[in-house]
Amino acid sequence: MTSYARLRAAFERLLEWIVIALMTVLFLEVTVGVVFRAAGASLVWYDEVASILLAWLTYYASALAALKRAHIGFPGLVRGLEPRFRVPMVLFAEALVIAFFVLLAWVGYTVLEVLATDHLVSLPTVPVALTQSVIPIGATLYVIAELLNLPQVLAEARGRPVVVHESALAEKLH
Amino acid sequence: MAILLLFVCILALVLINVPIAVALGVVAVVAMVAAQGLDSLPNVAIVMYNGATNFPLLAIPLFILAGAIMNASGISRRLIALASALLGFIRGGLAMVSVGTSLFFAEISGSAVADVAALGSVLIPSMKKRGYPGTFAAAVMSSSATLAVIIPPSIPMILYAVMADTSVVQLFVAGIVPGILGGLGLMAMAYWFAVRYNYPVEEAFAWTNVRRTFREAAWALLLPLIILGGIFGGVVTATEGAALAVVAALFIGLGVYRELDMRILREALVEGGVQTAVVMLLVAASALLGVHLTETQVPQRLAGAIIDFTSNKWAVLAILNVLFLLLGLILHSAAAIILTVPIVMPLVKQVGIDPVHFGLIVTINLGIGQQTPPVASVLATACAIAREDMWEVTKKNVYFIGVLVAVLLLVTYVPVTGMGLVNLFYR
Repeated sequence: MTSYARLRAAFERLLEWIVIALMTVLFLEVTVGVVFRAAGASLVWYDEVASILLAWLTYYASALAALKRAHIGFPGLVRGLEPRFRVPMVLFAEALVIAFFVLLAWVGYTVLEVLATDHLVSLPTVPVALTQSVIPIGATLYVIAELLNLPQVLAEARGRPVVVHESALAEKLH
Repeated sequence: MAILLLFVCILALVLINVPIAVALGVVAVVAMVAAQGLDSLPNVAIVMYNGATNFPLLAIPLFILAGAIMNASGISRRLIALASALLGFIRGGLAMVSVGTSLFFAEISGSAVADVAALGSVLIPSMKKRGYPGTFAAAVMSSSATLAVIIPPSIPMILYAVMADTSVVQLFVAGIVPGILGGLGLMAMAYWFAVRYNYPVEEAFAWTNVRRTFREAAWALLLPLIILGGIFGGVVTATEGAALAVVAALFIGLGVYRELDMRILREALVEGGVQTAVVMLLVAASALLGVHLTETQVPQRLAGAIIDFTSNKWAVLAILNVLFLLLGLILHSAAAIILTVPIVMPLVKQVGIDPVHFGLIVTINLGIGQQTPPVASVLATACAIAREDMWEVTKKNVYFIGVLVAVLLLVTYVPVTGMGLVNLFYR
């Protein structure tokens, strides 16, 4: 296994464990919330924490989805082109995706300073900056995932036979 | 003109394979900066965060997780055995079993691709072995899997309810009758094929067989009663019902059938998380575009333009049906709902269409979209399992699509088909 493949596999494992942890906590939190509500002792932080967990799942799992190339797109047209047209288009698309998430990471980071004194409504000890940190961190992880995929994406665009990791996970939503 | 430019830019980016969520985000950021300057950039982070904190959408990861656990627990195998005992004696028995099992499975799963992958991997090879053409096997499996999004629980319905700000429970109830009608229609079409091409009968009907398979599938059959009964009865919300589904799936997988191992559970958690993120990133990016659309009053202007042309509710429904059928050709259902529903809702409300009725119409439309190439996720999965060409399968599938279109027209122009139960229990 090359060092690139090792790095990619380690990054994928890291993201998978984060996603597993978030999914588990999300499920437990909602279940505990239902039990407490049924017992007539609703948890005041239930809705707010569950929504935050969903946002965290969105951005950490988005990076994993990017690594698995599972985000919904329309590859049909580009794949049908000659490699000399396909390569610049693929490069442009990748540059645009990376630029968007670099921008998101940067503005996400600057917002944390603005929110430094804010705290959650239902849990006043938890700073809003902590919950919002998912934007710069998630966006950075997304950029890393895109960069790790780049050699394979370019090799495919040039028409070389490569092992495709493309996932059909996104399709299962339908 | 600026609005047209906005949509042309999104389309251009999507065509060069920029993920749809990123295409929405890029165009929205450019539009925001052009309109309000660089000072608006911090809003991008705040809107993208808030867009992903939509509480009712929590039901999506939980239903996906429940479906994945149930599928890994041997539930599909037991449902196929029961359907085979009930329907296998009819000519074209395996085709009947495909539709029948899809009808059962739809009540515990909200995703058509998950259904076709779970059931098709067993039933398509079985049909081919018994002499059915692969193209027919793929077509009947693919079209019947669409029932998963019409019959509750349904992930596209949850998404629509959030985007249209309407009741997901009422939408779930509205899907019951059209889903059953669709199932019966697909069975009738499969029978017509079976008689015409002399497809085989599977097994003689025997009560002992029915009793045995029913006993084995009893826990699987209990699941929809617990989950949907809880939601429809108002005991739990859709989100809580989804958590209940996970608890029930874990109980059955680990405690009753004992076929669920930790490796499968780990894979189910990862898969559920990734599938959720794919939809949620779209939702968050659409919130960004939504800010711009709201400021520029695009949905209201669109509604005004169409009402100038016609304010007849049925004519507007015809226009929207055609729009969603066309969108179904080129867009995945989640993307189509997120992109279009917020834009057409002011029009829908202005001409007096019930948002729940419209949600059912959108869901069936996009269910049909999953069957129509080039972008047809369910059909593509069935074709991959059957190892058949998508266009060859479509030649057979067009008959089954016809059945689904008939259900769509019935639901559209005879609203009581879907809304009867809603009106009876909720209004």
